[in-house]
Amino acid sequence: MIANILDGIIFGIQLGLWAAGLTLIYGLGGVLNLAHGQIAVISAMVLAFAMDAGLPALPASGLALLVGGLVGLFLDLTILRPVYRLQGEARVLLSLLLTLGFAFIVDGFLNWRYPGRALSLFIGGGAIDILGVPMRRGSLLASAITLVAFAALFSFFRFTTLGRAVRSVIEDEEGARLVGIDPARIMRLILVLSGVLAALVAVTRSMVVSVDVQAGFGITVLALIVTVVGGLGSVSGALLAGIILGIVNVIAADVIGTFMSLVVLLLAAAVTILIRPAGLLGVEE
Amino acid sequence: MLEITGLSAGYEGNDVIQDASFRVDSGEAVMIIGSNGAGKTTLFRSVVGLLAPSLGAVRYEGTDITGVPAQRIVRRGISFVPAERRLFPRMTVRENLALGAYPGRPDPKTMELVMDLFPRLAERQRQRAGTMSGGEQQMLAVGRALMADPSLIVLDEPTTGLAPKLAADAYEALGALRDRGLTVLVAEQQVPLAMALCDRGYVLDNGRISTQGTSAELANDPDVRRAYLGIT
Repeated sequence: MIANILDGIIFGIQLGLWAAGLTLIYGLGGVLNLAHGQIAVISAMVLAFAMDAGLPALPASGLALLVGGLVGLFLDLTILRPVYRLQGEARVLLSLLLTLGFAFIVDGFLNWRYPGRALSLFIGGGAIDILGVPMRRGSLLASAITLVAFAALFSFFRFTTLGRAVRSVIEDEEGARLVGIDPARIMRLILVLSGVLAALVAVTRSMVVSVDVQAGFGITVLALIVTVVGGLGSVSGALLAGIILGIVNVIAADVIGTFMSLVVLLLAAAVTILIRPAGLLGVEE
Repeated sequence: MLEITGLSAGYEGNDVIQDASFRVDSGEAVMIIGSNGAGKTTLFRSVVGLLAPSLGAVRYEGTDITGVPAQRIVRRGISFVPAERRLFPRMTVRENLALGAYPGRPDPKTMELVMDLFPRLAERQRQRAGTMSGGEQQMLAVGRALMADPSLIVLDEPTTGLAPKLAADAYEALGALRDRGLTVLVAEQQVPLAMALCDRGYVLDNGRISTQGTSAELANDPDVRRAYLGIT
């Protein structure tokens, strides 16, 4: 049982990171990015090829983060432009369609050029005992990196002027404009940040399991579930929901079977929406 | 300082405001009075860049600022306090005020001025804006607007939802600001309060400016007396 819960927490912290980028974009501008997982996969491939070319893991990971951020910037500058001209429901729907199209193109291209290609970052050394449970070093390092990333995110939003400006746009876009904040520039910044976070998903995930060219949609779907449960626009909600769903996932896989765990997660999300439509830490409109 | 000429504005092709012209000189307090639905909000939104006018021009200190978006207009020295206040409800009083000085750091002197003007805000710096009373939120909205160190402050119905005593307090604060040399443009339904503050005013009637004059002239205008002062 303790082993299950620890595994669940470790997977859950990851899930939180998967959702963080997605929830920020949605909370900020009502844009749903269904290519989130593909950004992670692109970054994973960049990292894999960079290491093949002889680059050490650390600078190669830095390169992957940079590429993730650039893909986010690319989306902001290209396919999201028509999206920004719309408001409300139409904006959500168009963003969903266009990013889905982009995701299919990326998936199709990668499967055609690099079928079966996968990234795994091998973290050596034996297992470490935590509460009597042997844990793999790769999992622990991935969790540590993710937690540091969350701490950095929280500090950014709480203590910096730019971070507060991002929060202000999430809370009241017109109010933000009235104090001189340009919502379009904040959105661009967050798309870049979200791309970097997606790339970090690839880097940390590949320390635990291999990330292959087809992993994109799996990541996006789980990130969406976590986003909905945590509350749209809430990074702390993403982390909390990630940990809860991570534990639910591992226990469900253990009790019912892996093939059913995704169904259990969807059920958990559905129940959350029924009880709290805005999600765990979301704010009712 | 601010000069509006032939302004028409509205939503989806229907102009709510038609051919409005008015001016505000430096150091003045000017009111736009009108009943609910006369178009005061639409007029102000198109002046401060929240709504692009369909016709006409907005000039500020000699420069044409027609159609310049709100986020840039505030940096030129015009701060707008909307009737809905548009605060950041989950942020503290202090965070709201600090963002008023965006992108810079809040100037300690301006912060002190705001705290002197509204001691309630000084007491409640760590409280979340969304949990405060209507009167306190109005103070915070004005305070946040002041943090940008504007030359002109534009207020849309600052007494919305306030009890009479609080409404009077709000105007007292505006009087103090005007005495410090800040230029004030205010839209108001509670005309007696605005008249006591302002030097001049315009009457907005069904989207058109129907009458203008000094506060004394307007107070003696039979139409104004009947429609806005409740005197027959």
